[in-house]
Amino acid sequence: MAEIAVKKNNDLDVTIVKKKNKLGAKIIAQRGLILMSVPILLYKILFAYVPIYGWLIAFQNYKPQIRNIFKQQWVGLDNFKKLFTGLMGDRFIRDIINTLGQSLLTLILSTVFAIVLSLMLNEVKNTAFKRVVQNITYMPHFLSWIIVTGLVSVALSLPSSGGFINSTLMALHLIKEPILFLSKPDYFWGIVAGSNLWKELGWNTILYVAAMTAIDPTLYEAAEIDGAGRYSKIWNVTLPGIRPTIVILLVMSTGYILQTGFELPYFLGNGVVVERAETIDVFVMRYGYQLGNYNLAVVAGIFKTAVGLVVVGLSNFVSGRLGQETLV
Amino acid sequence: MKLKKILAGTMAVCMLIAMSACSNSPASVPSSSSEDSGSNATSSTESSNKVVLSPDKPVTLTAWITTQETAPAPDNKITKLIKDELGVTIEYQIVTPDNVDQAIGVMIAGGDYPDLVGTTDLKLRLLEAGALRKLDDYLATGNYPKLSEYVEPYVKRMSYIGTAVEKGLYIFPNYNRFFGEIQGGTHWGTGFWIQKRVLVDAGYPDLSNMTLEKYFGLIENFMAKNPKTEGQPTIGFEVLAATGHEWGLTNPPQFLAGYPNNGGVIVDDKNVATIFADKQIAKDYFQVLNKEYAKGVIDSESFTQTFDQYLAKLATGRVLGMHDQRWDFGTANDALVAAGKPELTWVACMPTYEGVQPWYMDRDVMNINQGFGVSVTCKQPEVALAFLDTMLTDKWQKIISWGIEGEDYMVDKDGKFYRTQQQRDNYNNVTWRASNRLMALRDVLPKHNGSFDDGNAFSPDDQPREFFDSLLKYDQDFLKSYNKQTWRQFMNQPKDNPAYYPCWNIALSDEVNQINQQLTDANVQYLPKIIMGSTDSFEKNWTEYVDAIHKVNVKAYEDAINAGIQERVKNWQ
Repeated sequence: MAEIAVKKNNDLDVTIVKKKNKLGAKIIAQRGLILMSVPILLYKILFAYVPIYGWLIAFQNYKPQIRNIFKQQWVGLDNFKKLFTGLMGDRFIRDIINTLGQSLLTLILSTVFAIVLSLMLNEVKNTAFKRVVQNITYMPHFLSWIIVTGLVSVALSLPSSGGFINSTLMALHLIKEPILFLSKPDYFWGIVAGSNLWKELGWNTILYVAAMTAIDPTLYEAAEIDGAGRYSKIWNVTLPGIRPTIVILLVMSTGYILQTGFELPYFLGNGVVVERAETIDVFVMRYGYQLGNYNLAVVAGIFKTAVGLVVVGLSNFVSGRLGQETLV
Repeated sequence: MKLKKILAGTMAVCMLIAMSACSNSPASVPSSSSEDSGSNATSSTESSNKVVLSPDKPVTLTAWITTQETAPAPDNKITKLIKDELGVTIEYQIVTPDNVDQAIGVMIAGGDYPDLVGTTDLKLRLLEAGALRKLDDYLATGNYPKLSEYVEPYVKRMSYIGTAVEKGLYIFPNYNRFFGEIQGGTHWGTGFWIQKRVLVDAGYPDLSNMTLEKYFGLIENFMAKNPKTEGQPTIGFEVLAATGHEWGLTNPPQFLAGYPNNGGVIVDDKNVATIFADKQIAKDYFQVLNKEYAKGVIDSESFTQTFDQYLAKLATGRVLGMHDQRWDFGTANDALVAAGKPELTWVACMPTYEGVQPWYMDRDVMNINQGFGVSVTCKQPEVALAFLDTMLTDKWQKIISWGIEGEDYMVDKDGKFYRTQQQRDNYNNVTWRASNRLMALRDVLPKHNGSFDDGNAFSPDDQPREFFDSLLKYDQDFLKSYNKQTWRQFMNQPKDNPAYYPCWNIALSDEVNQINQQLTDANVQYLPKIIMGSTDSFEKNWTEYVDAIHKVNVKAYEDAINAGIQERVKNWQ
């Protein structure tokens, strides 16, 4: 009996030592990885967390000529009230709707088309051809937005200004009179989503194509034996195989739902379409920075961050509840 | 292997030393010079403290310039001359006027400024954010005689009178501080422009007592006869409404009603300002535009194009008319002249409502919101001011404006400047100018506008003989047919400007600027709808627009303008 008890005790000691050793050993074994992550951690702390003290400006009547942020006049929640009420409030709420509309449409279109293109690329058996197609579709990603907006505004203009979309439609007899795309408020969200699609489609396929190559080929073989055709294999093997990737990418992009949308609406927007074009970022630029109204810019920034956090949290939770991949 | 490592190590150390030496040197130079300035005030011997620019002491000045012009080419001959004679190198940061608002906002948020800040900002935000040095004390040292001479008679007008920072002189206005006789052939201001070929085609019609009907009548007639220009559809009338140039859309009603350019307000005899955007004079104008749009005279892309696209369209020569200011579409005009197509350039008309005398041309207004200031982060303000002072001497003014004697202009036996045809052609060539002129710097430097002591005008364009001789044959004949010598003679004789004039450059507080922006936004959102809408829905669209205007706090805006008027009437006398 006694012997056994002693032995048990020893066992316990051993496991404790082993556990300690395990953690230590883990740290030692992964010291390279840990060291590598230190600069990134520092970078994040320095450039993402420290600057948050600038949010103080939201509660101040900030004047840049008083250089010290702690010597400004404090005004409580006045800036928040100003942004959400009156003429300014109407405008800001309209801009929230525009931002959501433009980014949701962009998100849906780009996800659907990226998946479809990836599926098509995955079916191409000729590698050379596949590479060429991939490269061509990536290319626009490397153009800056200012160039893309220039191209878009010419493409959508009248035929006499080089608007080839109008000339094509007219040559095909689909329309009689050229359409002034950029002066129709109702077209604007579509123009934004379309331009995004043109620029980012190829780039967005990269992760999906990579995920598809990771699918076990035996699954396809098994499906074939079961008599599955091409479409059936896509539906029953490929799509379920990349489902985790799709979900994770969607959850991540929801966080940016209010962040995106400066360049296109800023450069393509104009007075005529402003009711559908102006987004939060454009508003911040025009009424915040351009008029030296930094309080307003910061308040809008805080609002965006808060909404972003909540939306990511929510979609992560929902995705977890549906038994899908989650971020944390 | 080891040797390589040692070598690499030593190199790294050397570079570190070199880098720290580099970063030390510019800091040490200015610190000594700022001590100099401290002693300036008390010292009795001025000359010893004065910064003298010389090639032995090379300095670099960073200059931020708001201009339509481009930076000079690297091989620019005047850049070289300034370096050889004064030891000064200018590093340019050029911002185009339509981007200036955001550039200023971001610059202030950053808090780091170039040495010389060439601002064009009605809101004076750089000044109000404390980015600029007050210049009074520097000028009081007497070390900058030319700048003092430039400023003295008008110092009250040039000085800041708001509340955000200390009152005083902060920038040197870049245009229209006149010396001697004012000469000049070009009307740089506002007008309803019409292409010369339209007038020639109509047999040089009388342009006095012009009305909107006559103006658009001329355009419609010509358009009917010439639906195409060089293969492209002819455009009857272009409305300028691009960001930063919205006044192209909104200013005309005040001119039609016989008022001078006060921006968004008209001012009555008792010096009381009211906005006119919602008044009858505006309604009448936009109703005319609405009808012309329905007739297809007005370009339907007017309201969606950027300013660059607008200029590009003008430069094709297919635009028959527009309301704009001559300086604003200068590059399009230059391009047409350079291409040898003077018949496609424009001359100004002054349409008015019945029984109203036109007041399109005012007495040239000093640009108190534009020009160079010295930034607070400039480590060598004395050097920067010495440079500006030197540039204001007659010698450098002539180099900046006329060029190099013998190369770019000639002097006749009476001492009058003129140019050969080759020299004129050179100047009209944009590429040549990039290598031989400092157009961007010239745009924002303080200038000796008017005449030099030797009787020559500041620039070739102002020299009466040279102005006429340098015109293309077509333009000379055109002027002769109208029995005129200059383009200015097409305009009204300007009355004396009112004491407060002009209201468009009254500095406004942040709150009022925001209201002003809301008014502008309402204009660019609703006016295009009124113009492009069907003529039947004009009344409905107009009511909608006026409602939008009345949602804005117009009274606060008018009150601020009126306070500015009173302040000026008090201070500027």
